[in-house]
Amino acid sequence: MKIKRVLIANRGEIAVRIISTAKKMGIETVVMRTESEPAALYTELADFICEIDEGVAGGHRFLDIESVIGAAHKTGCDAIHPGYGFLSENAYFAHKCQEQGVIFIGPPPDAIYKMGNKTIARDIAISAGITVARGSQGNISHHEEAERVAATIGYPVIIKAASGGGGRGMRIVRSEAEMERMFNMASSEAAKAFNDPSVFIEKYIDSPRHIEFQILGDHHGNIIHLGERECSIQRKHQKLLEEAPSEALNEELRSEIGTLATEIARAVNYHSAGTVEFLLDADSNYYFMEVNTRIQVEHPVTEMVTGIDIVELQFRIAEGEKLPIEQNDVRIEGHAIECRINAEDVQAGFAPDPGRVERLNLPTANHIRVDTGVTEGSVIVPGYDSMIAKLIVKGDNRNDAVRRLKLALDKVWIKGVKTTIPLFRMLVRNRDFIGGHYYTDFLEKEVTQYHYNSYYEEKIAAWLAVRLFIRENWGDETDRYDEGESGQVSPWLLNKRLRQF
Amino acid sequence: MGERIRYRKLYVLPTRGRSHQFSLPLKESIRIGKRDYPIQLKNDERFGTYVLWKNRKYPVEVVRSGQNSYEILFNDITYNFTVETPFSYRRRRTLTKAIQSPLSGEIKAPMPGKITEVLVKEGDTISSGDTIAVLEAMKMENEIISAISGTIARLYVKQGSTVMKDDPIAAVVSD
Repeated sequence: MKIKRVLIANRGEIAVRIISTAKKMGIETVVMRTESEPAALYTELADFICEIDEGVAGGHRFLDIESVIGAAHKTGCDAIHPGYGFLSENAYFAHKCQEQGVIFIGPPPDAIYKMGNKTIARDIAISAGITVARGSQGNISHHEEAERVAATIGYPVIIKAASGGGGRGMRIVRSEAEMERMFNMASSEAAKAFNDPSVFIEKYIDSPRHIEFQILGDHHGNIIHLGERECSIQRKHQKLLEEAPSEALNEELRSEIGTLATEIARAVNYHSAGTVEFLLDADSNYYFMEVNTRIQVEHPVTEMVTGIDIVELQFRIAEGEKLPIEQNDVRIEGHAIECRINAEDVQAGFAPDPGRVERLNLPTANHIRVDTGVTEGSVIVPGYDSMIAKLIVKGDNRNDAVRRLKLALDKVWIKGVKTTIPLFRMLVRNRDFIGGHYYTDFLEKEVTQYHYNSYYEEKIAAWLAVRLFIRENWGDETDRYDEGESGQVSPWLLNKRLRQF
Repeated sequence: MGERIRYRKLYVLPTRGRSHQFSLPLKESIRIGKRDYPIQLKNDERFGTYVLWKNRKYPVEVVRSGQNSYEILFNDITYNFTVETPFSYRRRRTLTKAIQSPLSGEIKAPMPGKITEVLVKEGDTISSGDTIAVLEAMKMENEIISAISGTIARLYVKQGSTVMKDDPIAAVVSD
């Protein structure tokens, strides 16, 4: 059945991303507008807007199953694309869509449920013959039990939320002395974030790489993978930079792990797009971690190296089409790197820095792709994630991609909020990163300064401070500075203007 | 004002690291080796306020300015500077030498958020690296870790307190 009109139950860059493919395919788009972002870019690009009453106390618009499905009915949509986050991995939501005759663009509810519960997913992986890190049998409800399990598998261990994701409800425990506190923190964080305090324990693999495989399956039992993404540049388990392919895999290992990724998908009759995540240790041993049953933030790097539009295939699979390609048709060409440009203050421990984006100039070129949900004047609101844009750069090989990324980063111009750009400027100059030698705790362990500090840039900033000082303290003698060429502005005036904000 | 005549240079001290010196009257250029590269401060609709130096544009914002201290955001990096005259520079150096800075201090909130747990009480002895409180921000729980060893002299927060960035969490006195 052809989809005529789709409700995109999301916001920001992913809503914009889905709209662009839907337009290409001739599918009409409907989005939900909320009070906190009335003029967001995604609302301007969609064909129709569904206004949502902010009536329900405490309920989040994009998380309210009844109002999302209600919006789809009200606007005559035959399908819902959940994007990532929000309801995208909610099995009950997927089930409700089915029940109410709306196509859910994603995997079957049963697969979402099984993969969403990490203890069940782990058991399925084991029966599919995939190595997992040693850990607890099922969930653990008390720190004393956690201590017993940890004693048998040996420290360090990692506590994970059973319903978790995105680093929340996750703690690394290096000794028994830390267990009680870490256990309680992980459990309470899990309860708050996922409404489920269940946690389990696994052996913690020191300095692993995070390697994930993009999979695609249709309703006819065909499942393929599109190769891997390397997502080891993380901070507090949050990905910041992703690339494809990974320096750590050769063709043999890629094919071996990729095949296992499709096996686990097959075990739950998976269809649509999904991601199977693995940890890879220094000796190339790999361990199953989890399956994400949705489109990922970092999907563009895979699209850049395979030339496949994953969102388009999500639509076509949802319409019942067979996968148009087989495993042998998948070709990985070149190398792509994605940087997540977030409104965060790198120099202040990555604290969120919400605010108005006063100026936004992003580079354009054939080898550059920018996915963004903001425009100049947009406000990064505290209630949502802090993403401003994803900068994706492709090169003929990894060195070429890093070189092009370095140039592209200097063309990103954002004013009004602090961003993660200084981190990426530092990384493209870091010898280990350039060499591809990094792992998930690389930023925490190997990097002492999270931003690139140029001597001359600091000198210019210092020069500006001196000019301000002279003007403020000996003002009358330096008035001549104000009479510069046209187009020049005195730091004094600049300062005054900024104070008015 | 006559005061200016006395000074031949100004010092710029960053919070950390190397200091910079500028001769007066201030040149509109930055020197690399033996060559001076002109520096221009400009403003236009597309880029806002920026510095043009060596054919490259750099975004700039003065975040804060007061007395002799400045916070300047230049090319996405925040710089905190104090500008000192040779006189104040010498005095400052003498002072820092005289007062052997005690290791006491305040532990501050690294980001805005809500205190979900306080793990110490006033009078507790702590070591550097100890977690003193848990701060929830953007749905993540962050441990607030002390960089100082000593005794908790004062707690400024309790469970449920909302804090802004740099709000004091606790005062620690070294033994």
